[in-house]
Amino acid sequence: MSTQTAAQSRRTGRFSGIWPPILIAVLFLAAWQIFVVARDIQPYLLPAPSLIVTNFFTDLSLMWAAAFYTGTTAFLGLVLGTVLGLVMALLASRFIVVNHLVTPLAAGLAAVPIIALTPILNNMFNITSRTPRVLVTMIIVLFPMFVNVTRGLLQVKPVQLELMRSMNAHPRTTLKVLRIPNAIPFFFTGLKVAAPLAVIAALVAEYFGGPQEGLGSRIASAAANTAYGRAWAYVVASIITGLIFYLVVVAVEKWTTPWTGRTRST
Amino acid sequence: MSSVQTSHQAVDVQGLWKIFNEGSNNEVTALSDINLSVKPGEFISLIGPSGCGKSTLLRVIGDLTGATRGEVFIAGETAPVAREKQLYGIAFQQAALFDWRTVRRNVELPLELQGLGKKERRERALELLELVQLSDFAEHRPWELSGGMQQRVAIARSLAVDPPLLLMDEPFGALDEMTRERMQNELLRICQETRKTIIFVTHSIPEAVYLSDRVIVMSPRPGRITHTVPIELGERNEDTRETDTFYAGVTAVREALRGRSASASPPRIEEL
Repeated sequence: MSTQTAAQSRRTGRFSGIWPPILIAVLFLAAWQIFVVARDIQPYLLPAPSLIVTNFFTDLSLMWAAAFYTGTTAFLGLVLGTVLGLVMALLASRFIVVNHLVTPLAAGLAAVPIIALTPILNNMFNITSRTPRVLVTMIIVLFPMFVNVTRGLLQVKPVQLELMRSMNAHPRTTLKVLRIPNAIPFFFTGLKVAAPLAVIAALVAEYFGGPQEGLGSRIASAAANTAYGRAWAYVVASIITGLIFYLVVVAVEKWTTPWTGRTRST
Repeated sequence: MSSVQTSHQAVDVQGLWKIFNEGSNNEVTALSDINLSVKPGEFISLIGPSGCGKSTLLRVIGDLTGATRGEVFIAGETAPVAREKQLYGIAFQQAALFDWRTVRRNVELPLELQGLGKKERRERALELLELVQLSDFAEHRPWELSGGMQQRVAIARSLAVDPPLLLMDEPFGALDEMTRERMQNELLRICQETRKTIIFVTHSIPEAVYLSDRVIVMSPRPGRITHTVPIELGERNEDTRETDTFYAGVTAVREALRGRSASASPPRIEEL
């Protein structure tokens, strides 16, 4: 396996790996800094990277707490939405009726501007608690998880189904032995979409009132106080939080499903 | 055959019809009045152009799809019962291995479904991998293997529960010629060692002749058996493919396949 990856990187040559994007990023930041300083751009229009970095480090402990708060909301919503999505996908793949009932509903759910439901959920549940935010995140996570996992459970090769039939396998056995393992790569595809989305949802939900300790609240209040450097520093922290969510999923995927991303056997 | 206790034919197909969408506008008669008996230990090939129903016939025998009319027996049992009792193993053109399982655990799958213990399963799988000469690859993943090797794993899997009958649907169809010939020899060796009855679907004439005791020639629209060509090559070896008997067999099958237009007169089917 390692020889294969080595061969792959050799083939793609010097333009692969993590250095090119880092170089691009550094060049971009340098250009940004030079532009802001040279043209004397005001921070409320566009703060210099140096200002953002300075703010980032002066606010680090608060920022950590804010990221932890929003991250916890995102994580809870992610777990709930994933579990619910999995249950729905299992039912939809098992019972064609459920599939016909639930799939249009899920599609409809995707069309709802769910974030816009936050004020309503804030009224329905305790606005001083985390609950409405977790619920919003959950609903947002639900859709990609449900759609992807359902696809994974249903998209098995006909020849594999014939094989299971030839072995006189009960549908429950086929689910366990064939459909669920087949759906695992799809599950991770969904999760890779859902995890950063959960962070965004948890963050934006904070714009609609409630406890003020999360990243979203901090961005809003910094901007309201014309502390643009600080607002941008919190944006950076939000990006990092979302990225961490994504990378954790990628790591778990690599670790649990070594067969994905390989040429599939026929 | 010397086996006295098998009073039944290995496979017995009687008056079998398979009609898709019967009664509707797009009705297709895939199989019409198929009669076929296979003796225990016999190697039968089904050959014919695309659409002649050879794969469908194999699937009906395996109860992967039902018959419209007629009956199928495997070792005296009806097809559904035979499937329940695991009286046959099957291999397809696609190896249909599960990527998430190692080679060994792919072979173990049928045994797992039978509820066999972990240790016995493992032992049996390793034994079978030895038979198909893949012992060194037991803990590899399917995608690390070549097409021919994957197909050998699929054959090992089809033999796992030690069924008396093997159904093979163009198992070497996707392989290159060299690999294909090697796999044919391998299959004959496995047959000799395991004494299985085999029904083998192919559209390669030399493959059918080389492997079979009997070649069943089919023709399409509607799918039916037109000829039966007995092959007597004796023990196969390196030189078999260059013998006159082999060429005679190939010619006989080719002519039978061509004799499609002549079948306006009642098809001459040999006494089975």
